[in-house]
Amino acid sequence: MENPTDDYKIQSFDLDTQMLLKTALKDPSSVNLVKVSNVIVDQSLKDQVFSKEAGRICYTIVQAEAKQNNGSVFRRNMLNRLQQEFKNREEMRGRSLQEWVCYVTFICNVFDYLKVNNMPMVALVHPVYDCLIRLAKPDALMNEEEVRKNVDCLVLQLHRIGEQLEKVNSPRMDELFFLLRDGFLLQEGLSSMARLLLLEILEFRAGGWLLSGTAHKYYYSEIAD
Amino acid sequence: MSDWTRGSRRDANNSEIENSSYGPSRWSNCRKRGIDGSLRADRGVDGGEKDLHADSSSRHSDKRPESFTTPESTGPVSRCSRQADWGSQVEDDEMRRGVHRDMQRYRRRILGAEVTQRERKTSSGSSGSCDSKEGDNMETDEAVLLRRQKQINYGKNTLAYDRYIKEVPKHMRQSGVHPKTPNKFRKYSRRSWDQQIKLWKVKLHTWDPPAEDGQDNVLDNIEELGLGDVMDIELDFPNLSDSQNAPTTHILSLDGEDCLGTPVKVQKTESTVEPEMSSS
Repeated sequence: MENPTDDYKIQSFDLDTQMLLKTALKDPSSVNLVKVSNVIVDQSLKDQVFSKEAGRICYTIVQAEAKQNNGSVFRRNMLNRLQQEFKNREEMRGRSLQEWVCYVTFICNVFDYLKVNNMPMVALVHPVYDCLIRLAKPDALMNEEEVRKNVDCLVLQLHRIGEQLEKVNSPRMDELFFLLRDGFLLQEGLSSMARLLLLEILEFRAGGWLLSGTAHKYYYSEIAD
Repeated sequence: MSDWTRGSRRDANNSEIENSSYGPSRWSNCRKRGIDGSLRADRGVDGGEKDLHADSSSRHSDKRPESFTTPESTGPVSRCSRQADWGSQVEDDEMRRGVHRDMQRYRRRILGAEVTQRERKTSSGSSGSCDSKEGDNMETDEAVLLRRQKQINYGKNTLAYDRYIKEVPKHMRQSGVHPKTPNKFRKYSRRSWDQQIKLWKVKLHTWDPPAEDGQDNVLDNIEELGLGDVMDIELDFPNLSDSQNAPTTHILSLDGEDCLGTPVKVQKTESTVEPEMSSS
């Protein structure tokens, strides 16, 4: 039988916390959900692997809590934590690029998984755009280390949620892509890898969030080999 | 009016909720959720005692102006008071979507009933019930529906309601005997609706979990049955807003609280605020 908790990538937590999370998944009302949400958010900011999939565990806990007692303590606290971090994002970015990138990954993941009646959370749309646009600003593309981190994150998120984002707010996607084009064309000293990533995402969106067969071959076949 | 806002159950301000600590209220044992929204169930006073739903459905902008009068409009609705925090925004969003979804379902149900009515009419020649007109006379104002939904949520977020639905399945309900949730899609005046909610909640109290102190329930019922009665006995309304200051003492005291305006004003206020103020 598949062990569902493996999917949540919680191995990076200490055993006690793993236990806490497992319990939260099964019996949310028996744990301190505020603590659980803080634990998850904190770890997402530190652990990039976890931040890429943390949305999933959040979703499951939200569902479990709603089903068990119609509550939304976990979601509320998690979102408000996210908001807090969002307010201080420039400071975070200045302090630790890694943490900033983890944050963006996490908030995008939450946007992806946590839907309200199958619709994306309206409250997160602008913040997500703000984050992605921040990743595409000229100062984020200046040095090699920054570029790799920022662009990697940016293109990964756009692959995952670009289409959804555009559906809920197209003008801001245009805004983002203006920056991406500028970055691709004008940013001096951009590595070929970075340019490759940007070109691919430009084609991806232009193709309706789909790469044509030949484009896919161009960008991905080498990796397959 | 600051007394209202200070002691009010409904706090527009999240940080106020987080920073203040409230003592147990007389209604604590009936409240399903504590101040932080976490389930209270069999826990003691842990988790907060005021019935401030974690979800923003409880949140009204409570900064009532000095010249406060009974609002004729739909009154403060959380979505109007610019809830900046994401948690509330998402919950508001969710409630709004829920209400719209309910509306669609209800319309479909009514249309279905209308068709059946018409068929019966033509065959039996008898006049149909008011159901056939309901589709035309449905409440569709979103602000009204949201407000009503919040009031319903208050009633349902109680141990009493939980116990009630477990004990009496829908098909066993007898009209008049068993409380029935008011239908938010029917057109009612504000007063009529508020009164229905009040009566519904009073009925729900029958299923309150046994209180540790029997006197609790008696006073709860006095409060519920008639604000006018309360005024006559000169019990103090303010207590309803700062009930947390009176743990198990049942004398509703105005310790250091200023008088809340004139009785008439308070009474008027009560009738509109009552759903939030009531013990469930």
